[in-house]
Amino acid sequence: MPPLRSPKVLIREVSVVFKGRGSGLLALDRVSLEIEAGEFLCLVGPSGCGKSTLLRVCAGLIPQTSGEVTIQADRPGAPLTAMVFQEHALLPWRTVLDNVVFGPENRGVPEADRYARGREMLALVGLTPFAGAYPHQLSGGMKQRVGIARALANDPEVLLMDEPLAALDAQTRTIMQEELLRIWAELGKTVIYVTHSIDEALLLGDRIALLTARPGRLKQVFPVALGRPRGLEVRASPEFGALVDKIWAELREEVLRTMREEEGTRR
Amino acid sequence: MSWIAVASPLLLLVGWEIASATGLLRAVFFPRPTTVAEHFLRLVVDGSLPHHGGVTVMRVAWTVLLATPPAVAVGLAMGISRRTREGLDPLFAVIYPIPSVLFLPLISFLLRSAEAALVVTGAITPFFLVAYTTMTGVQQLDRTVLEAATHYGARGWRLFLKVLLPGTLPFIFTGLRLGLGYALIVLIAVEMVSARDGLGALLWLSWGILKVEEMYAALVAIALLGAFLTWGLGLLRARLLPWVEDVAGTAR
Repeated sequence: MPPLRSPKVLIREVSVVFKGRGSGLLALDRVSLEIEAGEFLCLVGPSGCGKSTLLRVCAGLIPQTSGEVTIQADRPGAPLTAMVFQEHALLPWRTVLDNVVFGPENRGVPEADRYARGREMLALVGLTPFAGAYPHQLSGGMKQRVGIARALANDPEVLLMDEPLAALDAQTRTIMQEELLRIWAELGKTVIYVTHSIDEALLLGDRIALLTARPGRLKQVFPVALGRPRGLEVRASPEFGALVDKIWAELREEVLRTMREEEGTRR
Repeated sequence: MSWIAVASPLLLLVGWEIASATGLLRAVFFPRPTTVAEHFLRLVVDGSLPHHGGVTVMRVAWTVLLATPPAVAVGLAMGISRRTREGLDPLFAVIYPIPSVLFLPLISFLLRSAEAALVVTGAITPFFLVAYTTMTGVQQLDRTVLEAATHYGARGWRLFLKVLLPGTLPFIFTGLRLGLGYALIVLIAVEMVSARDGLGALLWLSWGILKVEEMYAALVAIALLGAFLTWGLGLLRARLLPWVEDVAGTAR
């Protein structure tokens, strides 16, 4: 028998009920997942299925109603998670560099150290010349790079990404996907990545966890048996196409269910 | 600046000059602009405009200093806590529309110093304006930005100093800009009725003894002061808030 290894992230029977009228809204229903150290896990599901909620539970931004999330801490003092938000969520009154060092600053990392780290991360996302710019001077793709640098500068045990590329135009998104592959290969972080795009999930992920329509349950986990390092050309391979079809067949049902329910509430 | 912005006041002044010189306007009440300019210069040289102007400027400064800190505190509290907002809203709705000059008798009764009564009366409307804009500033803060800031460790006083305050600063400035205008209006009015010095007093006294030219000179000084205050605040805003997309425009 192989030795027992504890996973990097252990999500066990997590349920979330949003309080509201009556019994409340069940957003997540007993979701269990294990994520290995250094793994890139993609969460996919129809909109409103609770993938962002699950990510926020991992980040400690939303409390779970039951169940637990355990994150294995390997380095003392490092934050457990750092999140990249869909709408970049940068502080408009801080320069790019000051946004990037915001996490370490609040953790009390000495100024010289945090700025050194911040500059390093800015270089990694290719934004060194824009260190002194303000967010409103940047394009959408650049803002999202800052968001990524901010998360990396906090040097978390696990990197959480909430549809970070969803708000970008198609061309910028493609460039950013390549960037993400490169950065991930360089740093080897454990990543939980929420997306609604199967293509994106296959391009980036080691495994894809598919959630059902609300209430979100874990429907199926697909291993992505595509080689690394991976580039955009992988999308042309027959394996890629076969996986897209396979996952879409499962996802389609859930999307249709979501649409039917929306129809129902509208009536 | 477009040429029309310069041409239109010039045209008005030239028309006025001609009308007063030819007797179309009665020069007793509408002295020629050049005459007013002469008197203006004389009042500057003999030190009376600098004196009265200085007094009014100091009063405006005290008014703003008195109104802003409590207004920002109350505005932040109203923006953050719904309970505070619901508690204070009806009170504000009743007091705010009262022309604040009307509080002068009551405040004079409560405060011994006539000077203090002046300044406190002037501070009432700016207080409400800054409190309201600060509250709006908190309410318009992007929820995801707040979520992200908290996620990256800004809690408690850090959230306050590093997020809430800078995030509402453009709105506080908008309130200040409006408040400065109102402070000047109210102070001049109060100076007219109850002060011996200040531009309002100078204007009122000049009118009382029918020194119409000096009344106009005081009027010009008040207008210049108002424009100068707005301009100065604009500069300060551009300096302090380089991150606001359009510094000249409305707060975003």
